[in-house]
Amino acid sequence: MNAPTIRLGISGLTSGYGEAIVVRGVNISVAPGEIVALLGKNGMGKSTLLKTVMGFLTARSGRIMLDGSDITGVPPHRIARQAVAYTPQEQAIFQDLTVGDNLRLGQPEAAWFDEELARIGQVFPFLLERLGQRAGTLSGGEQKMLLIARALMARPRLMLVDEITEGLQPSIIERLANALVAERKRTGVSMLLVEQNIRFALDVADRWTVLKVGEIDDEGDSADQDAAARIAGHLLV
Amino acid sequence: MAERARPAAGAGRSPVLKRRSDLGIVLKVGALALVVLGAAPFFLDIYSVNILIRALFLAALALTVDLLWGYTGILTFGQSAFFGIGAYACALVFTHWGFGAGWAVLALALGIVAAMAVAALAGWLAFYHGASPLYGSIVTLALPIVLTQVVFAGGRTTGSSSGLSGFPTYYWTIEIWFWVAGAFLVVVTGLAWLFVRSDMGRILVAIKENETRCAYLGIPVPRIKILLFVVAGGIGAIAGFGYAAFTNVVAPELTGFLLGTELLIWVALGGRGTLIGPVMGAILIDVTSSYLSGGLPFYWKLLVGILFVVVIVALPQGLMPVVANRWRRLVRSAENEAETPVLEVASPRDRAHDEEQPLDVRNVHRNFGSLQVLQGIDFIANKGELLSLVGPNGAGKTTLIRCLADGHERSGGDIAIYGQALGRWPPDRCVALGIGRKFQAANVFATLTVAECLRVARYRLDRPSVWARKSVLALPEAALRIVEETGLAKTLEVEARQLAHGQKQALELAMVLALEPSIVLLDEPTAGLTRVERERIGAILTSLTERERLSILLVEHDLDFVREISSRVIVLHQGRIVLDGSVEDVVGSDLVRQIYSGGVYGERSEES
Repeated sequence: MNAPTIRLGISGLTSGYGEAIVVRGVNISVAPGEIVALLGKNGMGKSTLLKTVMGFLTARSGRIMLDGSDITGVPPHRIARQAVAYTPQEQAIFQDLTVGDNLRLGQPEAAWFDEELARIGQVFPFLLERLGQRAGTLSGGEQKMLLIARALMARPRLMLVDEITEGLQPSIIERLANALVAERKRTGVSMLLVEQNIRFALDVADRWTVLKVGEIDDEGDSADQDAAARIAGHLLV
Repeated sequence: MAERARPAAGAGRSPVLKRRSDLGIVLKVGALALVVLGAAPFFLDIYSVNILIRALFLAALALTVDLLWGYTGILTFGQSAFFGIGAYACALVFTHWGFGAGWAVLALALGIVAAMAVAALAGWLAFYHGASPLYGSIVTLALPIVLTQVVFAGGRTTGSSSGLSGFPTYYWTIEIWFWVAGAFLVVVTGLAWLFVRSDMGRILVAIKENETRCAYLGIPVPRIKILLFVVAGGIGAIAGFGYAAFTNVVAPELTGFLLGTELLIWVALGGRGTLIGPVMGAILIDVTSSYLSGGLPFYWKLLVGILFVVVIVALPQGLMPVVANRWRRLVRSAENEAETPVLEVASPRDRAHDEEQPLDVRNVHRNFGSLQVLQGIDFIANKGELLSLVGPNGAGKTTLIRCLADGHERSGGDIAIYGQALGRWPPDRCVALGIGRKFQAANVFATLTVAECLRVARYRLDRPSVWARKSVLALPEAALRIVEETGLAKTLEVEARQLAHGQKQALELAMVLALEPSIVLLDEPTAGLTRVERERIGAILTSLTERERLSILLVEHDLDFVREISSRVIVLHQGRIVLDGSVEDVVGSDLVRQIYSGGVYGERSEES
């Protein structure tokens, strides 16, 4: 198999809920090993875009390609099986399962589990101490960490991450930023990050895209000098 | 910005119509229904009229199931019990005591009172604070079984398993019975229609959606459920009385669990939460069953069963919504007339409390099993103070908030609000003391619109009408500012589940402020909002503390935000207060740097 140049290719994507169109003709492509940040005000369609890519919402029109194969209209569990990890904004962990069992669902392969657990334990040491605790009794921020830990353990080729820094203490955000960058370097995973934390987004991502009323309003490289100012400007209006 | 009337201070009330109800349309439709019912006996054969009369009484019973299950989310198997009580009240009085107008009134009154008393007792067992929804279902499941046993045990008095028959009753012509049953059903349906479309009706849906949020908005959920259960029991008893007086036969099956379950099937087939659907479902299925049971004595139940499975699989909402959608497409005009409420500033209430220290927390601790999440928490919150609560993830911040808003939460220690001990009070009574709590994850009513969510939050202060809707939504200044500055004013008619995450957060914050609390507990209120939106909300919060002298307790991770708006900061670490002081003392301290912030994300950022 020749290495594709586009991991995730979204073209002309339109989607929404009921009669409301939320995402309008969006084109985004993410290369293998590339991290793209999706920013914008509330209600502009960022989360809707991720949900559509993951198959939770049906695309009205447009195509979604994963490593050259069309995944438009494929149900979520099949997309997940193609090594796509999704961390939704609402804390989607299994409240009544233990921390360990939640992680095991991310990486069911016993042979890989310990190895991945050890790696993730370096980023979030508290998880190792709490493997037997019921996940629902974790605090809000800890549940967020469990959520991203579970996604990272799955050895994904594409991660769809929705506002993971929300509710995390600053020092953890920094650790998470380093962990995401390190993981990309190690495995070549691609990521599409929805973020409100501009600083985190620019630190982690290679490129950024601002969504406004369902359409791409502006985009650029994270290395651009004026990136932060431009994004902040878009969030103002 | 949405158009709104903002009457100048001191000006008279705006001339806008304050309340709306569907009384007009209910009267029209009701009159039409009465005409149809009035004419029907002349076009139908006697057999059909006979079974229709029974079906009309049962339809009224199905209607009460829809109120309980379809609107309020109480899955009840026991509505047949009240029907049976009404039926047996009729049969017992007429058989053993006497017959006549006086006896009939007495029997009806006895039936209603007994049904309501049983409903009150069962309701209390099923819905008291802390009972799980499963509890309610099990109590209502047991109720008809118990009553059937009582009938069996009654010997000659109740007729045991063969029931009572041949007691004297009104041998009116079949048309009169039909009109009586029809008029009863129309009246009950009309009243129920007004009720569910009223402001109080929205409270029922809110309870179904999110009971926890209701309790923290000061809505006494158990009391409302019990009252509704009692009223539904009373209506069920009247229907049962009529049924027994007409058929002249009562049998234990009338109180039984089988009928209770059939009611659920009728409601589900007709369409939960539509009133008309369950009524039609009950009539259609009962009438068809009567016909089929003659022709196909063994197969008709199987047919109904198959129909039920097909409808539930193909149309999970039931039949009525499908019909209603078709109808709405036909007559698009009047139905879709927008009914967006007009926003208005609520006249400020006097805050009765003058004490400078609204919140006094002493030695509060909380254990989960052997895990000590909070230990010896002591602090006093002052009036007009914006007190930020910071600390690492898992330090116990949310647990502390929870202990302040629900008297059951803490394992020990004392909390006083304006000098009054919090005791073990449930959340809705804590709200009455002046506490408003915003949850960490946005917690709103998914299928209610933005306007309805805000209206529900005004329950305690505005006392919703049980038959009308207000066309004005009066909110306190602060809540109104949030609604306008976050764009919610433009989406008043949008269902809350369609809002973006950040808008849900803003909506919940507005709902909490609509309670006009004097102590506001905010658990990461700005998570998921942009920096600009955060700043706007920060400005609103500081003006609340400065102008209205509220106490605000804020859990927040964004230290910049904390620095900008707080007047004092408490640091929690591993369940203890490790620092309590001014913003500069705390935020810049080595301890905070070490356990909490560190690195680039803890420093003041330059962006915007």
